[in-house]
Amino acid sequence: MASTRGPNAVDLSLTVNGRIAAAHVPPHRSLLDLLRDSLGLTGTKKVCNEGDCGACTVLVDGRAVYSCITLAIACEGRAVETIEGITSEGKLHPVQEAFIAHDAYQCGFCTPGQIMSIVGLLRTNGRPSEDDVKRAVAGNLCRCGAYTNIVKAGVSAGRSKKARD
Amino acid sequence: MFSYARPKALGEALKLLRNGTQALAGGTDLVTLVRHGLARPSSLVDLTGIDGLRGWTRVKGQGLRIGALTSLSDLESAPAFVKLLPIVQQALRDAATPQLRNMGTVGGNLLQRNRCWYFRDEGVPCWLKGGERCFAIDGENRYHAIVGAQECWMVSPSDLGPALIACDAEIEIASSLGKRRMKLADLFVAPKGRERKEHALRAGELITAVRIPEKALERRGAYLKAMERKTWSFALVSVAATARVRDGKATDVHVVLGGVAPVPWRVTAAEKQLDGTTLDDNSCLAAADLLLREATPLRDNGYKVTLARELVRRALRSLVA
Amino acid sequence: MPQGPRVLKSKDEFEGEIYESTVIVEGRDLPTSQPGDEIGKARPRIDGRKRVSGTALYTQDVQLAGMLHCAILRSPYARARVRAIDASKAEVLPGVHGVLHRFNTPEIEFRNEKELFREEVRFVGDDVAAVVADSEGQARHALSLIAVDYEVLPHVVDLEEAISDGAPKLTPDGNIFDAGSYKRGDARKAMRDAAVKVEATYRTSTQMHNALETHGAVASWDGERLTIWESTQGVFEVRNMVRNALKLEPTQVHVICDFMGGGFGAKLGTYKYSLYASLFSMRIGRPVRCILTRREENLAAGNRSATLQTLKLGGKDGRIVALEHESWSNSGQGRWAANPTGPTNTLYDIANVTSTAHRVMTNAGALSAFRAPGYVEGTFALESAIDELAVAMKVDPLTLRRRHARSATDPRTGNRYSLKRLLDCYTIGAKEIGWSSRKAEGTRGSSAHRRRGLGMSSQIWGGGGGPPAYATVHFETDGTAVVRVGVQDIGTGTRTACAQLAADEIGLTMERVVVRLGDTDAQYGPGSGGSVTLASIGPAVRIAANEAKGKLLAVAGGVLEVRADELRIERGSVVSKGARTPLKEILSKLSNSTIVGTGIRHPNPTNIAIKTFGAHFAQVEVDVRTGEVFVEKIVAVHDIGRVVNPLMAESQVYGGIVQALGFALSEERVVDRALGRVMNANLEWYKIPTVMDVPEIVVRFADVPDRKANNLGVKGLGEPPIIPTAAAVANAIANATGARVRHAPMTKARVLEALAMVEA
Repeated sequence: MASTRGPNAVDLSLTVNGRIAAAHVPPHRSLLDLLRDSLGLTGTKKVCNEGDCGACTVLVDGRAVYSCITLAIACEGRAVETIEGITSEGKLHPVQEAFIAHDAYQCGFCTPGQIMSIVGLLRTNGRPSEDDVKRAVAGNLCRCGAYTNIVKAGVSAGRSKKARD
Repeated sequence: MFSYARPKALGEALKLLRNGTQALAGGTDLVTLVRHGLARPSSLVDLTGIDGLRGWTRVKGQGLRIGALTSLSDLESAPAFVKLLPIVQQALRDAATPQLRNMGTVGGNLLQRNRCWYFRDEGVPCWLKGGERCFAIDGENRYHAIVGAQECWMVSPSDLGPALIACDAEIEIASSLGKRRMKLADLFVAPKGRERKEHALRAGELITAVRIPEKALERRGAYLKAMERKTWSFALVSVAATARVRDGKATDVHVVLGGVAPVPWRVTAAEKQLDGTTLDDNSCLAAADLLLREATPLRDNGYKVTLARELVRRALRSLVA
Repeated sequence: MPQGPRVLKSKDEFEGEIYESTVIVEGRDLPTSQPGDEIGKARPRIDGRKRVSGTALYTQDVQLAGMLHCAILRSPYARARVRAIDASKAEVLPGVHGVLHRFNTPEIEFRNEKELFREEVRFVGDDVAAVVADSEGQARHALSLIAVDYEVLPHVVDLEEAISDGAPKLTPDGNIFDAGSYKRGDARKAMRDAAVKVEATYRTSTQMHNALETHGAVASWDGERLTIWESTQGVFEVRNMVRNALKLEPTQVHVICDFMGGGFGAKLGTYKYSLYASLFSMRIGRPVRCILTRREENLAAGNRSATLQTLKLGGKDGRIVALEHESWSNSGQGRWAANPTGPTNTLYDIANVTSTAHRVMTNAGALSAFRAPGYVEGTFALESAIDELAVAMKVDPLTLRRRHARSATDPRTGNRYSLKRLLDCYTIGAKEIGWSSRKAEGTRGSSAHRRRGLGMSSQIWGGGGGPPAYATVHFETDGTAVVRVGVQDIGTGTRTACAQLAADEIGLTMERVVVRLGDTDAQYGPGSGGSVTLASIGPAVRIAANEAKGKLLAVAGGVLEVRADELRIERGSVVSKGARTPLKEILSKLSNSTIVGTGIRHPNPTNIAIKTFGAHFAQVEVDVRTGEVFVEKIVAVHDIGRVVNPLMAESQVYGGIVQALGFALSEERVVDRALGRVMNANLEWYKIPTVMDVPEIVVRFADVPDRKANNLGVKGLGEPPIIPTAAAVANAIANATGARVRHAPMTKARVLEALAMVEA
């Protein structure tokens, strides 16, 4: 029988950017708050906190989700990847490089979420078309309106060989 | 706030679902309802650990069965499924966003609560929440119902609902007391009287699967949706239409509207009227008029009648195109 | 010859208005710079790595040891008197460290009011109390335990209701206030004599900024000095407002904004949350964070006013002879109006113009500047009306505009423009969109029931910048030049542009330049509003870099034993008669002696009007059965002087157009009139454009240095591209369908309504 835990803080462990992370949080705590407040991973942004903007996009078991409306406890035993985890040994991910080259941001606040959506896309579609990239970031608002360059960056990251490794 | 359990078997989950407990699947709606105080579960039962409620199967001659925990993106991106039931992909393509479709499940999509901004504002004591009146009737109602509303003018928000109803979907329901089946169309109820709710599910019940009869797989289908921007919007109006088309003539026509009524809106007389026609413009518009005959738009939503009429025509016309 | 400091009067334009100020200048300005290796080149941002890796530190991300969290109780009523507050339950809640409300907070003068918490709360979302606690959750829970006794008063939230006779009077003087008028020639007489007349009423709805990072601050008092991390467009404005309110010395308030997640005008001001965080921090001695929620952002942190505008135009002999414009703006509880008649008064040389603007007070959150405030709303009305006149006169709308766009002087002041390339913008844009193939009745669209049309609109804006603004440049021993400026980078790329300017001036590659900004420990830099940042700070950076380079060459001459005037710096090396010595070699010999150059922004020339001009052309399709608008292509052509970084400049234009498309087609605050509540204070029903809403965008610049403007020949670009898009789209819709939609946003409902009028 599954145990019922909470409503007070419970111990939970999940994989974040390839490492086991342990935390002591109540069941209502969102994955976003866990990442930002408990683990200090502030690259993932809080904008609407109700699944209306995409700034908090992270990958859970390889799929893009909104971490603000994902319960941290529901990620127990799952693998979470954030913007901090896609840079390897100080080397930027090809999507990150493409964002810089194409000026695919202005204020930069939606950028981590946009990048994670495209990183998620490239896992299943290594050579996305313009339309594929648009569909992948259709759930990521950018108030500065950098969309044109975000799409360019996504397509060009796919063309770069490294992105498909 | 609430306690949490993630059982591994359906039986366990059903036992845990008692008063004050709510089932959690993708959480895309429930988590925000809880955060805004619109749902106050004492405990959440996370269904995502249960095997056997995910994925779809087809047995030739017996139709299609879709597990209630199947994510929307799994349906949308499965080529074999899309080939069987393209209308579902059409409905899902503009439903929410890739992230929400990764998270959201078939069962959760059907059971999502309405998006009326008076209902969602925890500071407004609207009728559906136990208050005395619907604030939309003489308030800001551009997105509200034009037809079928009684005491509450919200609209049924699901894209999947109309599409599946147009395919004669049934749902399988389980509870600790047993199992039952229900026409999907009967799941959706217009809140009225003492029944201030949008779904016919009883406490402790779960949707475990959606079934599409074989006959429906033989029909052509189309789903059209009008939105306030090009994507990521609940429907101003949506139309799901299916029909069997032979020699240019349509039979077994289904037309279901979303975004216009508290439930997916269907008028069988309108569908009957199309039987045997070539789905020509005039027949389509006549059917649309019948569908909307009882429409009584509010101050700001009369445009929905125009939109619905045209989308019904287009969806039906596309079946014979 | 160096000149000592002297005091001058400077006239500068900000958001369309001219302001006179006293400035101190010293030394001489430099002549306009020549093209270099960096300026004018598409360069990726120097802070790009931080932006893409999640390490850029925004205010929201500041986490300090012992930090407490502040939350704000806001009025649920549009207008009410706060009779009593019982916060005792909140105060004893575990984790709560304090509560502020009108009955326990000392008098604090802020924004012309004597108290932080009003006795009469005036909109849903107005501040009632603030709580500080160990966690945000505890603070919010405590809010729910505060009992407030409200006496509810009659309210009005809607613009047209507020100006009608029966509306509750919100002040003894009523709800309507003068917001400026203007007159040249005799419009009434000219109208009488006009052969063709057009009169129409236009409406624009309230647009909400919705910068993705909400407003917020983290304040930390160390016993002597208050450090505030704030998501702001003006670190010095925050410093000055906070220190005035809390009666602190300038040196006691230190404001930092390294990265900020968008502002669009709403973060030009200072808000009460910064004071709560500061007061609590000073009282408790721990850092306090106060970050608004999305809902609060949309209630209490500014908006673009809704407007009602009437325009009358008279035409005769192929020209516009009379123009009358009257406007009413819903400023909510704001004390000013973003005047929509600016473009009417200045864009075209029309002989007879009359305009009157009114500010209307309602029980809604105060307006704030929103990217070209007034000009976006006014241009929608003016440029729509000019097209309506062109149709009535049977003149091509671009031809009609050309006839009134030739003047080299500002019609309002008679001053000559420093540079005006509006006609070039027309020519470039018309060619790019294929204007010559435009049909007066539009053309068939790409499928049944779709019509296609072309439309255009012009824009005028300031953006000349001006003093005061200062910069310093110093060298580190490794040859790195460090630029320090008191401005902030709000996402426009100021940091990168400053690096380009310094690199070119000194003779470095950009990698050897570091820019420190967003910190009031630097000397003053202006707020980033009115598109003034680069044109204000850039010339000062150049002078500082020039001075640092001069000193460096003198030092190099000594070290290399060569006359300084035989030396130059190229790509990081001192070059002398073919010999190259890396800067590092010279600077490392100096030990800790440091070369510092300082730069000051000199005043703009007197009696010269520095303006930006531009034109947008739109190609749209309209589904005449559903009212859906498909914007297929926007061509944007702007005259902004010299373009420093084409890559970032294009980004600005993309962004302006996308926000403008939201204003034009989908963005609209909806307020329930009876409840006074904003029904879509969220990103669900407040529809900002998605990636799918973006058309093909072609960006062109009349890239000519404005030599009279400043030593770089640059002008601003932040605001110009949001101004003309909505009218261009409206005009294209009218061209496609014959239907004139006079209310932005032009939703399906409104387009269908306008189409029905045409059919009827």
